Amino acid sequence: MYISGIGIVFTRGRGIDSFEKALKEGWREPSRTGLIPAYRVGPETLTDASLSKKIRRADRFSRMAVLSAVDAYGNSGITVNEREKLGIILATAFGPHTTTFSFLDDILDYGDANVSPTKFSNSVHNAAASYVSAILESRGPTVTLTQFKLAFQNALILAGSWIAEGRCDHVLCGCADELGMVMECACKMKLNIAKDGKINPFAFSDSPVSVPGEGSVFVMLSKEKGSNNYGKVGEISFSQNITRKPDLFVIDTDGMSAYETGYKDIINYDTVIAGYSPVFGSMLTGSAFNFAAAALMLKNQIAYKCIFQDNPFGAKLCVETSAKNLNEIYCIKICRPEIKTIVRLQK
Amino acid sequence: MKIVISGIGIISAAGFNLEQNLEAIKNGKRNGAPVSIFSTILPYPVFEVKSLPEKYAKEGMRTRSLAFAALKEALDDAGLQAPLSGFRTGVCLGTTVASQLNDISFYTEFRKSGSADLKPVDLFLKGNLAESVACSLNASGPSITVVNACSSGTDAIGIALSWLKAGFCDIAIAGGADEINRVPLCGFGSLGILSNSLCAPFDKNRSGLNLGEGAGILIIEREDFYIKRCGKPSLYLSGYGSFADAYHLTAPRPDGTGLESAIRKALSDAKVVPEDICFVNAHGTGTLDNDRVEGSVLSRVFGDKIKFLSTKGYTGHTLGGAGSIEAVYTAAALKEGWIPSNAGFECKDDDIPITPVTANTPINGCFAVSTSLAFGGNNAAIVIERA
Repeated sequence: MYISGIGIVFTRGRGIDSFEKALKEGWREPSRTGLIPAYRVGPETLTDASLSKKIRRADRFSRMAVLSAVDAYGNSGITVNEREKLGIILATAFGPHTTTFSFLDDILDYGDANVSPTKFSNSVHNAAASYVSAILESRGPTVTLTQFKLAFQNALILAGSWIAEGRCDHVLCGCADELGMVMECACKMKLNIAKDGKINPFAFSDSPVSVPGEGSVFVMLSKEKGSNNYGKVGEISFSQNITRKPDLFVIDTDGMSAYETGYKDIINYDTVIAGYSPVFGSMLTGSAFNFAAAALMLKNQIAYKCIFQDNPFGAKLCVETSAKNLNEIYCIKICRPEIKTIVRLQK
Repeated sequence: MKIVISGIGIISAAGFNLEQNLEAIKNGKRNGAPVSIFSTILPYPVFEVKSLPEKYAKEGMRTRSLAFAALKEALDDAGLQAPLSGFRTGVCLGTTVASQLNDISFYTEFRKSGSADLKPVDLFLKGNLAESVACSLNASGPSITVVNACSSGTDAIGIALSWLKAGFCDIAIAGGADEINRVPLCGFGSLGILSNSLCAPFDKNRSGLNLGEGAGILIIEREDFYIKRCGKPSLYLSGYGSFADAYHLTAPRPDGTGLESAIRKALSDAKVVPEDICFVNAHGTGTLDNDRVEGSVLSRVFGDKIKFLSTKGYTGHTLGGAGSIEAVYTAAALKEGWIPSNAGFECKDDDIPITPVTANTPINGCFAVSTSLAFGGNNAAIVIERA
């Protein structure tokens, strides 16, 4: 399947151009308005005059998902006339938890019989995908899934299955996660937060540091190559060894996994390594952002520099942003020794 | 490539296993009663699983406990034992409650002090349904927890079917589970769709749904793999369709075209026509909108002679578990050759062109359909086949 469009909402704005600009610019200090330094999405990013009526009741989580999905669709330049052939897959780790806690506020403040039906219906995980479907009038299969480990990778597998079976010609496949107050508190207590605001993706440490982020990425995946082609998604594998060398590895190290030492093996392949978590922050669904970066590199034939180059193990990092002949990129996430996923992207 | 259903397991208010469930529904037993597992002023009857079997009961992880109880029965039925590390095993399970961090005690403490003991968060992180089942079985294939509200269970089964057909795994654990919880009880109450009495799907005087809890698990396998392992199959999962309404967050599209497309896709996937279907296990929640739309669609697709029922009168609406519990009932009914009465039905609704079965009814055929509709406008249907 082909990547025909990308939409993104992240700490530095909205749209693939903003993301490309951020990849070129490099690191920025995270915001320090909450309990922890974090890459938060500002409210100004989540307004859109053309959609304001349709998302007037939508919460932050749904808005992030809607804007990135609508942008991915628009970015593809494709008009899907057969709406039953357009599917949607939204993967998330935590869903719209801020709305869930707001609903709990209602229960605690007003009692079981006096809660808001609007808050309840927006607290359901699949509300965001429902907004996307209603706005784009997509009638194909629509699935929201929740995973902590391999959310985006499983979403890609499902998208590939739907396209291969002929259920869909196009699938909007993405991730979204938000950072609410309770989650910030949990992150502060459970994670090793980088006080200097710097994620260190290549330290491969057994106690890695993180800077939590939030946002959403959607990619439009299509059966046929479109006019705005970013590349092709090849094989997606679990638990397999790397048998041939790509032009670049993009790795999901951001301090959210206790198994970042496992990435040290990648060094042995003598292939350039990159990872862009310092651009968008630490997220369980961060793989989608790195996937978007990889797709952008394939399309532009440019390798973006790694932002922090602290490199204690001598990995062959991408140290400058420059034109590069990129035919194949492997996006890698390792959760445990036996769970290594490889998403193969091809020009 | 045909896909075999090699094992089924169920736990619901009607019983701790398939045998107890079938016995209860055969006798028309309905275990709805006021909530007993937490305090609430809401008077609505619910269908609770009383005395969860001790070996599966884990405090703070009720949905997971229900899933593991049904999983054990399904694995036994399939002749499988954990771990399944020798196979390429996928896990696809639906839920709603287990996907949300909604522990009220934890949040009350957090509101007071800005901090709280994180034990409920730890349990939540360990309680992702598909991940925890995959981990317990040492499963190495794809793993998804589907959170498509009330169609989660049916969609989970359909997704597992796609994986097997695409060759991502040889065996899949598919189904769903959900618990009765104060948060959805308050939420459904606020939407005004909970009934003060036992639900009456498709009845003229129906007044809403009753929440329930439970789990249904199917073990499904590629036929070539199953034949090598066991021999002759008796049931197949033959088709799946899923379409969106693109209409409203909580109400079904009035013309029911999303559901109709889902059913027609499931039929074409199974390479059958409506006349091949011997009964439909309908979503049938007992709400005004759902039953009117669904009844019209079933009539349109299958004609006015179709045998159909809702089993929610025996289990309540088990949300993310509903589609899978109903898939288990559907599979069992095909094997046993009968379907139960549509509990709660007394008077025909003039707005619904067809009437559900009102007594335990023999069935004679090889194919059945199970449907689910959901918040967010999801519609899903599967076709199950007796070999």
